[in-house]
Amino acid sequence: MTNIEYDVLIIGSGASGGMAAYALTQKGVRCLVLEAGPLIDFQRQRGLKSTYELPYRGFGKPGRLSHVFQANEFNANQWVDEQQVPYTHDPKEPYNWVRVRMVGGKSLFWARMSYRLSDYEFKARDHDGFGENWPIGYADLAPYYDRIEPIFKVTGRTEGLAQLPDGVFVEDSSPYTESLKRFGEAGKSRGMTMTRIRRALGDGQFASSYNLLLPAAQATGKLTIVSNAVVREITTDRKTGLANGVSFIDRQSGRELHARARVVVLGASCLESTRILLNSKIANSSGVLGRYLHDQFYISNGVIAVVPEAKDGKAPRGLMGGAGYIPRFRNLKTKEKNFIRGYATDIYTGGTPDAKYFPAWGEDLNRMLESHRGAAIGTTIMGEVLPRYENHVRLDPKVRDAWGIPALNFQCRYTDNEFNMAKDAVATISQVCEDAGFEVLNGNDKMFPPGYSIHELGTCRMGENPKTSVLNKWNQCHDVKNVFVVDGSSFVTGGTQNPTLTIMALAMRASEYLAEQMRKGDL
Amino acid sequence: MKRRSFIQTLAVTPALAVPVAANDAAPSVTQQESAALEIAVADAAAETHQKFFTALQFSALKRLSGIIMPPMNGLPGALDAGAPEFLDFLIGASPADRQQIYRTGLDQLNSQARRKFGRHYADITNDQAVELLAPLRKPWTYDPPGDPLERFLREAKADIRTATVNSREYVTAESSGGRRRGGVGQYWYPID
Repeated sequence: MTNIEYDVLIIGSGASGGMAAYALTQKGVRCLVLEAGPLIDFQRQRGLKSTYELPYRGFGKPGRLSHVFQANEFNANQWVDEQQVPYTHDPKEPYNWVRVRMVGGKSLFWARMSYRLSDYEFKARDHDGFGENWPIGYADLAPYYDRIEPIFKVTGRTEGLAQLPDGVFVEDSSPYTESLKRFGEAGKSRGMTMTRIRRALGDGQFASSYNLLLPAAQATGKLTIVSNAVVREITTDRKTGLANGVSFIDRQSGRELHARARVVVLGASCLESTRILLNSKIANSSGVLGRYLHDQFYISNGVIAVVPEAKDGKAPRGLMGGAGYIPRFRNLKTKEKNFIRGYATDIYTGGTPDAKYFPAWGEDLNRMLESHRGAAIGTTIMGEVLPRYENHVRLDPKVRDAWGIPALNFQCRYTDNEFNMAKDAVATISQVCEDAGFEVLNGNDKMFPPGYSIHELGTCRMGENPKTSVLNKWNQCHDVKNVFVVDGSSFVTGGTQNPTLTIMALAMRASEYLAEQMRKGDL
Repeated sequence: MKRRSFIQTLAVTPALAVPVAANDAAPSVTQQESAALEIAVADAAAETHQKFFTALQFSALKRLSGIIMPPMNGLPGALDAGAPEFLDFLIGASPADRQQIYRTGLDQLNSQARRKFGRHYADITNDQAVELLAPLRKPWTYDPPGDPLERFLREAKADIRTATVNSREYVTAESSGGRRRGGVGQYWYPID
């Protein structure tokens, strides 16, 4: 047994926890990372199989992972088992909570989309009067984005857009294909600007804390990682009220342990961090812990169109292929009647529409699929969801996980602002497709349930006022000064941008502040 | 047992009978000669025991499967791939609401066939069978259709296709024909 007191105990090893470990150890801070899942040996853990070798012929075990639309029979074992770690919601208001417990967390599997937030998000209230501003602005975070993008090798095209600030890119100057050019030109009259998708290239197979952050942190000699450590709660000193460590359970044996530290950093993912705080009964004098849950609504294939010249295998070279990104263009300088904020769109060309879009079967369907092979334009619509007090998580008094930790109960729904935005998105993109000379095959304005984007945000938001926020502008708990929360739960608003890059920038900024406070003896 | 592997087995047998975990006592994989045995999937050697749908429902499912996914371009169809038998198993193992969609839909196919043509769905002509699939002509929507038959047909169309193209028969035919090989992926083994 050991009686070590670490400088900082970090819960979680994904993008946020990994970045905290990276930034703190670079400053000479001695850290312990507790990760709920195992370290994966990818060579042993995965193997090629045919669909017919799977027990359910690729359909997956019925009823398993019913909330994880991203799951299939090949990858089912990579997600958190919903029976082992359950959560609850009203059956009429589902929430898709998608989780990974492994060293590296969800950063092992993310789509790598890497976009900066702008002051349209940080100062959103100033633009439309809804909600709160962040206690920081773009200028506060920009230096951290500047340092993280080179680590993750983010590709992108420099554009000078106010709503999507440029980064330190591996510059993507590749030409658009003709179909993308046509879409981009047609969108201009509606205020759209098309740019390249900004994506982390990473190193080799991964762009993850697993290969880009944790190894560098461990090379300092200042980092200890313990896997399979399921955290139950943060423990506090009765006299001071400050955190003094963490109680956790060994995932495989069920053994209860306690680790001591001067400071605790939560980077367990947005809702797991909030769950731990709720179960620890700390950091909630404001009553907003668990509140203002938001994400981005997603509509995959919101509009499916076809490029007529590409049908029947007749696409000339350079017509099809590649992808573009339309950043938010609504409510920047103009004002929409039916909704505030806006949406972004991924557009990709060259695929084949799914069979469900064709009202046919048998040989007719086969002919249609062959005719449309490689001729499709697909879009994914990503809309900003307003952070509302009513949308929240709390501990379920009746349901516990396999280790006896209370489960989360979700109460979250989209509102007319999101529904109206989705309708506008599908109508506008459909019109742009038609203006570009494409045939619209299907338009769908029904979004997936909340949570599907795996961009859950809020529930532990930052702010200047301790009565309306959980964290200060340094991701530090107002109530418990030696507890920091560095993941997506700290967000005040989420915009339309994929949040991981911002989560890492916040984690780096908070960690360097923390290291400085420790150096000065203030923590 | 070959002499070499017998000696290897002796070499790793503990000299003293001390209590050890079962895995510790067994020779490690690297110390054995592993036999290169080829293991077949069950579908290669046996037929699925059909037990969920009634005989009448199953006959309608078979008929429907043959129409939705006939043999095409030298590739097996749903019946060659055992798709109806597989779906009998899959739906039988599925949540009750999904079972209900199938049972209701198949019953409606049969009842409409009897009402319009005086026979069960399995026994009507091809033109008549296709006529009853008119709901599949409607455009796809995200929300499932309210009409039970339309909802069933939409699900069945997707399921029959998947059960066929993911079958051993289809994948083997695709690859042996020198075509693009589909249906292969990185499988995640269960995590300890």
